[in-house]
Amino acid sequence: MREVLVVDDSKVMRDMITACLRPEPRLGFTHASSGLEAIEKLSLKPYDLVVLDLNMPDIGGIEVLEFVRSQDRLRKVPIMVVTTRGDEGSRERAISAGADRFLTKPFAPEVILAEARALLGATSAGVA
Amino acid sequence: MTDSLHREEFLAGFVAEAHEHLAAARRAALAADEAIARGQPVPRPTRELFRALHTIKGLSGMIGVEPIVDLAHEMETVLRTADRAGGRLRREALDTLLQGLEAIEDRVGHVARRAPVPAAPRALLDALAQLEAPAQGGSAPALDVPPDLATKLGPAEREQLASGVAEGRRALRLDFTPSAERAARGLDISAVRTRVEAIAEIVKVVPRSMPREEGAPAGLVFTLVVLTSATSQELAEVVEAPLGAVQEIQVVAAAEPARPAEDPAPQRAGPHAFVRVEVARLDEALEHVSALLVSRARLARALDALAAAGVDVRSLRLGLQDHGRELRQLRTAVMRARLVRVAEVLERAPLLVRGLAQSGRKQVRLAMEVGEAEVDKAVGERLFPALVHLLRNAVDHAIEPPDERRAAGKPEEGTIRITAAHRGEGELELAISDDGRGIDLAAVARKASAPVPSTARELLDLISRPGLSTMSAPSRTSGRGIGMDVVRRIVESELGGTLDLSTSPRQGTTFTLRVPVSLTIVDGLTFACAGETYVVPTATVDELVDVDPERLIAGPAPRREGVSVRMLRWRGEAVPFFDLRDVLGLAPPGSPRKGIVLKRDGAAVGFGVDRMLGRQEVVIRSLHDPLVERAGIAGATDLGDGKPTLVLDLVALARTLPSTAQEGA
Repeated sequence: MREVLVVDDSKVMRDMITACLRPEPRLGFTHASSGLEAIEKLSLKPYDLVVLDLNMPDIGGIEVLEFVRSQDRLRKVPIMVVTTRGDEGSRERAISAGADRFLTKPFAPEVILAEARALLGATSAGVA
Repeated sequence: MTDSLHREEFLAGFVAEAHEHLAAARRAALAADEAIARGQPVPRPTRELFRALHTIKGLSGMIGVEPIVDLAHEMETVLRTADRAGGRLRREALDTLLQGLEAIEDRVGHVARRAPVPAAPRALLDALAQLEAPAQGGSAPALDVPPDLATKLGPAEREQLASGVAEGRRALRLDFTPSAERAARGLDISAVRTRVEAIAEIVKVVPRSMPREEGAPAGLVFTLVVLTSATSQELAEVVEAPLGAVQEIQVVAAAEPARPAEDPAPQRAGPHAFVRVEVARLDEALEHVSALLVSRARLARALDALAAAGVDVRSLRLGLQDHGRELRQLRTAVMRARLVRVAEVLERAPLLVRGLAQSGRKQVRLAMEVGEAEVDKAVGERLFPALVHLLRNAVDHAIEPPDERRAAGKPEEGTIRITAAHRGEGELELAISDDGRGIDLAAVARKASAPVPSTARELLDLISRPGLSTMSAPSRTSGRGIGMDVVRRIVESELGGTLDLSTSPRQGTTFTLRVPVSLTIVDGLTFACAGETYVVPTATVDELVDVDPERLIAGPAPRREGVSVRMLRWRGEAVPFFDLRDVLGLAPPGSPRKGIVLKRDGAAVGFGVDRMLGRQEVVIRSLHDPLVERAGIAGATDLGDGKPTLVLDLVALARTLPSTAQEGA
């Protein structure tokens, strides 16, 4: 079982992302509704993939990225940033803050699934 | 989103969540509105608005509702600019943002009904795009904050800290250390936020890495930066930390934050001279005053009885007169506390006129000469829609386009003038005049298929016909407003005032409204009795009962005054029962079908009426001085039919009647 942390302040959005990733077998999902919650969850337990929104009530996704990448333990966790279009400038900031993938909402379900598979495959390759 | 992910499945969730975010956005806009009126920056509402819109935008994109995405995107850009300027948002920007919220809400409604969603209004998108230039007003205050936090606080957060400290709250930082054990029993950062928010305003939460050996099992500590009036002890308890985890932040404003120069007006008292009071509390005070007036009336009657029995009551009579005067003054004082300045009621009028003028391609100046005139809050709230309509009319129909005005030898810019002044006892006169083309009497007559009006009254009657408009096509702005018929109903029927107009060709039109400065609004039950309609305040009624005349117990013979008493069985007791038509002297006692039961000084009493008609909020107008009014009549109201209806005070009326059937014997 591989654990995915879905971080978005919108429940509908978390549900949609989860629905998009369901076709991939042996995935467990944990939801976080804010950047702080995400940091806390990441600090308490290892995850195999993080799907991260950029704009959230307390601290934004960029701050989450910066924090996570500053932690030795979390430096390698794959992070896919999913954000609303119009944040074009944030792609660069997200990538330089340590995002592995950058997706813009609205996205097609098969695109996010393919990206997730690629990221999950990269971590599990050594195990398989 | 493609069909492989069932869009339908998420629509209900989308609509519900969009409404939540819209509600949050409106709350933030309201907070911003109040702060802007005080000339303050609005860092927090700006960020809350931004967030709500950003989420709405993201969701709408996923559901594929592009018009909402477009609107939210432009609104976001305005807010991002304001945020970077330390939360400085101009009133005109807020106004346009509110229109944007309305437009989004409308489109969410379409999604909810599964109807095609109309495109975003081009004019609104353009207006938003124009607002994106940075606001004037200076940069965020320079603050002396601890170095480890300095890089984490943005301009809006600094502004928030500075104003919080200026208001007398303390700026504190407190550390929360998450752990698996704490998370397992529900103490996670979200729970901490909720708890802290109950006693403090959270400005920022900064996650900090911390070596595990220093007591941070997750290698993480959250530092919360808050503004609060709570004690450090209270905050420490909330995060289950030692007192040392809470530290004061020295917030030193390097420079006084810039404030717009034109506000506040120098002659007005400082903020400390005001308290905010809920209207409900004032109403409560007013109710007690009313009760005092009633008990005073009883005292006066008792005094009369003593005098009639030959007792010397001169000194008592003098005392009672003083008492009456004090009561009147007390009542006036409470009523005055409910007054708001007319200028405040009309606060949004300049913006409204400007917006209307822009969309109608007119040049209009609004001159407000309302001085310090005041009006009861409830009157102001009822009056405002009527004033909005008159302003819309003036801009859309009365003021000519600039070229037409130039050709007529008038300045290109039209003027709409609002004046307000107190007239006589408790009356406010408001006049809205324009220097436009005047009402075309012949055109109005043609439109209404009626003879050309020869007096102002006839003209008013004509233009107040429901649905009459002198425009051949409904204008974009007046189209969704209310009609003159509604203006007239508000002014005349609801408020008991008068509406007049004068108009002359090429010179302009003036509408003059006279309304009472104060009025009392109650929730009332309407009922019929002997062919008349009456109202009784709902709060005074204990129960409405069906009455079987056969089962009424005959009471003793009528007293000398002629009011007969029967007994009604109610909740296991025999209650004195009077036929209201008899009490009011309208007709001899009959067979009432409905009973109104209420408590008179703790004891139940019933009044028989013909039938109940309904329940509605009514505006009570005093018939005359409350100290000399007839017991049992609280005043008059208009139920919307233009006819005065009496509002009865049945409790006071009951006090004039025998208290028990036995006593009546």
